[in-house]
Amino acid sequence: MTAVIETSKLSKWYGNVLGLSDVSLEIEPGVTGLLGPNGAGKSTFLKLITGQIRPSIGTVRIFDQKVQNNQALFSRIGFCPENDSFYEEMTGWIFLTSLLRLQGFSPAEIRSRAEEALDIVELSADKDRLIRAYSRGMRQRLKFAQAIAHDPEVIILDEPMSGLDPLGKRKLIRLIKAYKERGKTVIVSSHVLPEIEALTRTIILIHQGKVFAKGDIHYIRDLIESHPHMVSIRCPDPRGLAGQFLGEDYVLKVHFGPDGRSVLVETNNRDKFFAVLLSLIVKSRREVEEITSPDDNLQAVFDYLVGK
Amino acid sequence: MKLTPPAAVRSFLGSVRRVFTVFFRQGRKARRTRFFFLLSFIPVAVSLVIKFNQIFSGKPGREGDFLFTNLIMLFYLQMIILILALFYGTSVCSEEVEGKTLPYLITRPVPKAAVVLGKYAAYTAVMIGMVTLGLVFSFIVLNLDRLLDPSLYGQLGRYLGVLILGLMAYGAFFTFFGSSLKRSIFFGLLFSFGWENVIQYFPGSTQRLAIAHYLKSFLPAASPGRFSFLTFRLEPTRPGLALLMLFAITAAFLTLACLFFSKKEYSLED
Repeated sequence: MTAVIETSKLSKWYGNVLGLSDVSLEIEPGVTGLLGPNGAGKSTFLKLITGQIRPSIGTVRIFDQKVQNNQALFSRIGFCPENDSFYEEMTGWIFLTSLLRLQGFSPAEIRSRAEEALDIVELSADKDRLIRAYSRGMRQRLKFAQAIAHDPEVIILDEPMSGLDPLGKRKLIRLIKAYKERGKTVIVSSHVLPEIEALTRTIILIHQGKVFAKGDIHYIRDLIESHPHMVSIRCPDPRGLAGQFLGEDYVLKVHFGPDGRSVLVETNNRDKFFAVLLSLIVKSRREVEEITSPDDNLQAVFDYLVGK
Repeated sequence: MKLTPPAAVRSFLGSVRRVFTVFFRQGRKARRTRFFFLLSFIPVAVSLVIKFNQIFSGKPGREGDFLFTNLIMLFYLQMIILILALFYGTSVCSEEVEGKTLPYLITRPVPKAAVVLGKYAAYTAVMIGMVTLGLVFSFIVLNLDRLLDPSLYGQLGRYLGVLILGLMAYGAFFTFFGSSLKRSIFFGLLFSFGWENVIQYFPGSTQRLAIAHYLKSFLPAASPGRFSFLTFRLEPTRPGLALLMLFAITAAFLTLACLFFSKKEYSLED
């Protein structure tokens, strides 16, 4: 398959601080997960390939074209930024139609594309509300909508699932997979392994500004298996939930959150833990608000992988 | 695909127009516009107070056009257009950086220079709208008894032109501030109420270092009176040259702002 995005010796320094070092990659159509702890260089990489910043050394090419100041290329790229920032005084509809106007579409096309994008992210009913009145999940979905509204061939999503509830995450995962089926190239960054795992098998591991590994997620998972894994579960009855795990040999430690609404479980068998957790939730009809892997977990995995 | 020069210019102007359309709407609807709209109506309130005082005191007082030139116009020139241009001009670039909305614009098929020029044009149009309304109302209130005199409208047109030139020049200057400085409002205030308000009264050619000098060159020569100190001008620049200077200032600072915005990598984390 032909590479859509190619980087060669891509490096970026912010003064004396290294953002990215010597990254040479080829990214093909489909979903590619960019995985790394906070501050690893994921956002720097995404800003470089979307032409927001210039490389200190090296090159980026998309569809075999240079990216910097290549406005024609930008109409083929959709970018969802990490920051939760908007023109707060706009409604969702105005926000989307304004950005579509900048793409150069006709008024009729702007309307139909905005309607379609809002429909996809299920925000049609709230399109006339001010963005500042949107919930975090709605804002995330609106950010995604602006990235896909112009039907780009390359979709770049920087931490798109942060702030979404489990249901929202599942919907977004389904959406991203649908774009993969349509032959699009999607890059998704995250510091949460299960999020990436749910999306794709192709991942790029990035750490301290360097690409640590690229390839099939199972390779990474095999490395990670033997390393203890932390899972945070937010629910109304964390003690009741924890009680059902305490006897299991794959559960190493259990901590409770200070607010009394979360439990942090350390396990050495992620797959088994999640399988049991999900069946417990379904069988006992337990209400669960959030399941996350804390940041330091992935950091610990990386430290483990790099042999610290 | 390489664009031929005319096609490239057309494409660039098309981008400027699209940015203008988006931000003219946003500028009109913004909360701060409501606030500044009220601010730009302070001279109308002052005009009403003067007019009511004239009517109810029964004293003739100064003529409407004298008051308009020496009080209302200077109020606009030395305060309102400076404040408007400062807040709207600096926000052209800095609101995108501080609001972290920059990625939405710079990942679109729109050149960065078109973003600056389109937003500048949109915000200048919003400011002109606000100032025009206030100026026309003040003018009508102060000249209620002479509204049928056609020469008055020529005068109004000239004053309006001066304010528009002022908004353009100061707006461009502060757009450059916003693109290049972090605390652009602070430095803009220093410039507006420090440099501009002092330098314009310096004798000799020093006063030509203030934008206000060129704007005041279009006003009628100061006549002796209570407000004459406000129009103190030692060496007014000829109107043609003043116009040229104002256009040059506008073009130069807009070019610099475009260059800064295109080259600088803004940190959204600050």
